[in-house]
Amino acid sequence: MLRRIRQHWKNYIGTSRMALIGCIILGIWIVLAVAVPLLGPWSFSEQNAAIRNQTSSLMHWFGTDRFGRDLFARVWYGAGISLAVGIISTVINGIIGVFYGAVSGYAGKYTDMALMRIADIISAIPSMLYVILITLVMGAGIGSMILGLCVAGWIGMARIVRGEIVRLKETEYAYAARMEGIKPLRILLFHLLPNTAGTIVVNMIFLVPQAIFTEAFLSFLGVGIAAPAASLGTIIQEARSQMMLYPYQMIYPLLVLCIMLLALNMVGNAVEQRLGSHSGKGTGDK
Amino acid sequence: MSVLDVRNLSVQYLTENGASEIVKDISFKVEKGEIAGLVGESGSGKSTAMLAVMGLLGDRAVIRSAQITVSGERPVPGKNAAMIFQDSLSCLNPSVKIGRQITETVRARRKCSRKEAEARAEELLDMAGIRNPALRMRQYPFELSGGMRQRVVLAIALACEPELIIADEPTTALDALVQAQILLLFKRIVRETETSMLLVSHDMGVTAAMCSRVYVMHEGQIVESGAAEDVFYSPSEEYTKRLLNDARGGSLSGYGHDSIENTAGGTGDIYGKTPVFRMEHVTKIFDESEGIRDLSLEIRKGEILALVGESGSGKTTAARILTGILKEDGGTLYYRGNELNRDRRMDAFAGRVQMVFQDPYASLNPCLTVREALEEALEAAACRKSRTARRRQESLPARRRMESLPAHGDREKEQMTEKIDRMLRLTGLSPEDADRYPRDFSGGQRQRIGIARALIVEPEILVCDEALSSLDATTREQILELIFRIQRKIGFACLFISHDIHMVRRISDRIGVMYGGQIVETGETKKICSDPWHPYTKQLIEAVPEPDPLRAVKIKAAPLKDSTGEGKGIERSGCPFAGRCGYALECCGEENPESYSFDGRGVSCFLYSDRHSGRRSSDYKMTSQI
Amino acid sequence: MLRYTWKRILTGVFSLFVLVTVTFFLVRIIPGSPFQRGGVSEQVVETIEQEYGLNEPVMTQYLSYLGNVVRGDLGISYQDPATQVSDIIARAWPITASIGITALVVSVILGTGLGILRSVSKRRWIREVISGGGMLAAGIPSFAAAILLLLVFSVKLKWLPASGLLSPVHYILPVTALALYPAAMIARLVGNTLDGELQKDYVLFARAKGLRTGRIILTHALKNAYLPVLNYIGPASASLLTGSFVIESIFTIPGLGREFVSSITNRDYTLILGLTIFMGAVVIIVNLITDLLCAWLDPQTRRAYR
Repeated sequence: MLRRIRQHWKNYIGTSRMALIGCIILGIWIVLAVAVPLLGPWSFSEQNAAIRNQTSSLMHWFGTDRFGRDLFARVWYGAGISLAVGIISTVINGIIGVFYGAVSGYAGKYTDMALMRIADIISAIPSMLYVILITLVMGAGIGSMILGLCVAGWIGMARIVRGEIVRLKETEYAYAARMEGIKPLRILLFHLLPNTAGTIVVNMIFLVPQAIFTEAFLSFLGVGIAAPAASLGTIIQEARSQMMLYPYQMIYPLLVLCIMLLALNMVGNAVEQRLGSHSGKGTGDK
Repeated sequence: MSVLDVRNLSVQYLTENGASEIVKDISFKVEKGEIAGLVGESGSGKSTAMLAVMGLLGDRAVIRSAQITVSGERPVPGKNAAMIFQDSLSCLNPSVKIGRQITETVRARRKCSRKEAEARAEELLDMAGIRNPALRMRQYPFELSGGMRQRVVLAIALACEPELIIADEPTTALDALVQAQILLLFKRIVRETETSMLLVSHDMGVTAAMCSRVYVMHEGQIVESGAAEDVFYSPSEEYTKRLLNDARGGSLSGYGHDSIENTAGGTGDIYGKTPVFRMEHVTKIFDESEGIRDLSLEIRKGEILALVGESGSGKTTAARILTGILKEDGGTLYYRGNELNRDRRMDAFAGRVQMVFQDPYASLNPCLTVREALEEALEAAACRKSRTARRRQESLPARRRMESLPAHGDREKEQMTEKIDRMLRLTGLSPEDADRYPRDFSGGQRQRIGIARALIVEPEILVCDEALSSLDATTREQILELIFRIQRKIGFACLFISHDIHMVRRISDRIGVMYGGQIVETGETKKICSDPWHPYTKQLIEAVPEPDPLRAVKIKAAPLKDSTGEGKGIERSGCPFAGRCGYALECCGEENPESYSFDGRGVSCFLYSDRHSGRRSSDYKMTSQI
Repeated sequence: MLRYTWKRILTGVFSLFVLVTVTFFLVRIIPGSPFQRGGVSEQVVETIEQEYGLNEPVMTQYLSYLGNVVRGDLGISYQDPATQVSDIIARAWPITASIGITALVVSVILGTGLGILRSVSKRRWIREVISGGGMLAAGIPSFAAAILLLLVFSVKLKWLPASGLLSPVHYILPVTALALYPAAMIARLVGNTLDGELQKDYVLFARAKGLRTGRIILTHALKNAYLPVLNYIGPASASLLTGSFVIESIFTIPGLGREFVSSITNRDYTLILGLTIFMGAVVIIVNLITDLLCAWLDPQTRRAYR
């Protein structure tokens, strides 16, 4: 297993400078997001009226906000929350999407049609509405944010997996497996799904920045994660009222967010490219 | 002065791991008004050399040459040189009408108005043998048949008014009859327009039929050249001899039917008598033009039955109905005399029918190693067996049932490994290959894996659907022999599907010739090939050029009319072949002939009906009517 | 083609119906009353609710609402009883649409141009700059881009106005922020599909028959490359036309998106419903047009549906 992971790492990440840079940035971000709130001298929530709205200094690297909270600690705490929300919701969305899409694609006919129409309708309603509903019912927090992201977030993945399964179902090796008398469920799980692994992985990588982005945007509009917890979106939102006076309060979290999303996108792009050229070589140069 | 004069041409490709030389220092010439041939296996660098001559290679290729000239000048694509490619579908733009693709060429060549260009395009299409050019100009490439598309491509090449046409495998993607038509057309065009042509092909037969001068290419070098007669009748190089030998196809002798009767001896099931599988009046229609209609056939124990016919004739549909991948619209199927349930055929039949597919790249799961793929098949078979065994044991007392279940585990695993090794060896692979993935193998090796996978569950019927058509001549020869040898050794029934009647004649015991979704003639291979009765069979046999310049020049395609799609729909009335038949009677266009059988031989043609030749006495011996 | 169109329209109407139903009940789940706020007694709330028919069974409310929607009446806003929901839409949509369409045009032109340049250019640095810039533009969320633009160009440099839509100059920042992502996606799609198309045999054949490169790209390759791009542009233009929540809120533009956000925070049931239905209808219609356009552009489907 370990050997396989190392092999894949070498194949997809190691050969691309872009992916490598992305991974390094992500690594630094994760370390900072974990270490700063744990080890840093400042708390992310402690208010101190004496040091309100200070610019960057040796004591407070990113300065302080209007309640006198240290922004450096806050930004990295927020980055951690954003990352956690993004990754957890991606895993959930990925599992639901793969399962839903695979069943829909393999069952075909009416089941397929019904399942896909349901997905269409769920995705037609703005996801903001779901998040607001859930936060109103369950209270604002990380849990309801993740739940809100998972109501409609899996649909893209489901569509992609469905498309792949529908295509693979008609391949000659799928026919051969059917002729050998292998059970449909086994064909789906052991013969078709492994062949969609590349597509699934690429889409999972892209789902993370998407989820982080949606979370940030909802928090920015004031319907997402609320105090005492704070994500990058919340911090940006809080800085908005004094944007004209203290722009740095907004710029630091923004930059941290943008670099995080960029790094994720870089990894995704690199893996996608690598996979595209790889599968092209692998399945027939006729 | 020669029209094309190429001296010391070398082509290198720059890749990540250094440069690789694809074409190594070759020189060749084409004289005015002649057709020269460049022949060699795929991968020998023919196409690369041609693209280099045309100046169409990409940036990564490094071309070195002492001279490349067309009538003393640099070759300019679209001006003094034109090129025709193999796949006419992919080299015509799918979303641009035929007319525009020709007129833009005309207008790129010389200044003229749109009107004049259109008139010229019609003229060119007419020259290329297309009926009703005005209509075709308004159509899209996908609306034309393969043969017509290749004619359009030729018309476009002619629109360049070139001195030289390079034709790269122009007929490889076409059916035998259409190939013959296109080859004749090329000859006529070269004669009438005094254009020179360089014909690139892997097919010795095509080269022999067309070319007066031949260059043989192997691994980037020209190994032999000379006048066609010299190269074909007295080849000096070992490689040329091997190519000719593979093309002529020696008989697959040494494995008679005796061995089978030995293995099956005593059981009463003697070869070629009992039908394993039978299809009666099976119909399956897709949209209007494809499918099979009222098809009946039987496969007998231990025989190789071949279905032969052009693409779209319904061969693959028939095979897929047999395997249960497709469900028929109507008709009945029997397995050992028992009627098969239509909806649950795949279950009832599981493991008894196996298939070797056409595309070796798509027929193996890229995620499974060879061993895993074979184990999957074996486990499914074992699972089936134990299920039936358990059903039988339901009546036994519980204790005994426990005992009789196999002591699985290591021993079973060992047996499986042994079985896999044996099968790999049988198909000409080595047991060490088992842990590799399909992508590590070449096309021919993959096809061997496909055969191993199909045979490991000991099927009663093996279906080979164009299993050889994507392979090289030499590999094809090896796989053909492999299938034949294993079949004679194990004795399963085999349905062998191919478009190539000359390949089929060497392997099969019986042949069914298909046309337009029907079997038009069946019978023993020897009889059909030496004395065809149906006009289509006859044309099919004659259309394939032999690698013999003197005999091949006489390809006959004369009675063939332009095979435009008219009336090709499967639901039309009348004989499917009537539109292309030189012997068509009045009734052929109206009624569909039934199958008339004489002495183990069936033929669907009115020439053999009572109506045509009068009522005959029972001891009348029917002979060919054509 | 006509039958296909009808089928698509019917499924569109059906989806709209389901959308109305689902949204209606979803909105009703939101706890609390729209009229509840500090200083208002329970009794007053009840009276007002009675006036609006909110005390009736949910099913009755639903049916009467459905009847009204069919007649084109989306009801009146709870927050601002003097105005009809349709009036709010009529007021806000032209503003949203004007920004959306501008952004769409900009992104299509820019994206296509850059995409072609990326795939055709022989200079390595041009290709790298375009794909790097594309990744940057696609990776940064629109609200971050909007804020950065705002901070740089109107707070720091004071070149451009920060809010409102008074003159064409006001359009520059919101349109840039909106167009950045679609332009990057279009450039990437055009570049990728064009790369694929240029590998194909028909391009080689077109070169063999003596056509010039520019002509091959414009009249041959782009024609085939644009279908997948169109499939992206459809949904993208739908979302541009229904307004961006963030952009409108950052640049204080009184468009549909801002109305939607405020309607939710105000629990203005009828306005939420009305806006959802309207946006849903726009999405469905735009997708329908895209699908028909794609089918019509592809000769194979065009012939099949004739």
